[in-house]
Amino acid sequence: MNLFRKIKQLFSWQQPPTRSAGMAMQAANPKMAQKILGMLEKTQEEELTCDEVFALLDQFAEMTARGENVSELMPLVELHLEICGDCREEYESLMNVIQHPA
Amino acid sequence: MAGFQKQCSVKDNLLSMNQRTNEQWLADLRAKGDMRDAALSDLRALILRSLPYALSGKLNPNSPEFESLAEEVAQETLLKVLEHLDTFEGRSLFTTWVHKIAVRQALGELRRRRWRDVPLPEMEMNDDSDIMPRELADEQPSPEIMAERNDVMMRIQRIISEELTEKQRLALMSVVMQEMPLEEVAQKMGTNRNAMYKLMHDTRLRLKRRMEAEGMFPDEILAVFAKSVG
Ligand SMILES: [Zn+2]
Repeated sequence: MNLFRKIKQLFSWQQPPTRSAGMAMQAANPKMAQKILGMLEKTQEEELTCDEVFALLDQFAEMTARGENVSELMPLVELHLEICGDCREEYESLMNVIQHPA
Repeated sequence: MAGFQKQCSVKDNLLSMNQRTNEQWLADLRAKGDMRDAALSDLRALILRSLPYALSGKLNPNSPEFESLAEEVAQETLLKVLEHLDTFEGRSLFTTWVHKIAVRQALGELRRRRWRDVPLPEMEMNDDSDIMPRELADEQPSPEIMAERNDVMMRIQRIISEELTEKQRLALMSVVMQEMPLEEVAQKMGTNRNAMYKLMHDTRLRLKRRMEAEGMFPDEILAVFAKSVG
């Protein structure tokens, strides 16, 4: 009868905090769906791998530190750093180091 | 006299360290005996001085953990530098190249320590019947938006379960849902980070292509979720 209430009930259902929750269950969380969509939005047919980015990272960091336009000069490295948390973290640490010469 | 000589040599070391060109670093590290030892010891000092910056915000430089990590990182970095010396192409300062290796060692070691005891999420594909979308408690979007979102989430779920292999689902869940580092997921799945990136890239491409084939475009659908904030 009260459709609105029914929908509300449906959405307020709380997933029990179990670690065995499957993937399907997880994707039903709007935050997770958003995360997946955001990731897919950035996805390109051709991307550099972590190893390829690592090979260029010192050069990329120095170019950034000099204020060069890396978005234009090395767009694929920049894209990888947006997608890959591991590489992004390493890049940020490297920037910290080279901007504070020991 | 000995003290004076020592002072001089410390000063010389500092000078030579700051003034070594890329070519000098390479030559010294490829030399035998004292030249090489001096270069290695300068490099080691450089790595140890840079680590607090590399790990700033992640590990307190005054903690005991930092000390043990620093020794290990310096050692491993020097070994890697010597091993890969021939791959240095001179596209950056030699010291930046060394820092890059040190940073990777340091963060890798830190990740290992932090995630060592965290298992991969268990994968149990539930029946579609007991899947129910849920909203975050503090959000009150309109019923229309909730219904629209519900539809999108159901479709994403279906595509994930139809399109991906078990390995791909596990990787997606670990990296995206659990926010585990790629390197740690790779290690736990018995592969390496580069292969794991490729696997994730394939996973993303498969999802994206299938969604687009069904007329779902990520940027457009994201707008449905953005509405929630209002
Ligand atoms: Zn990466």
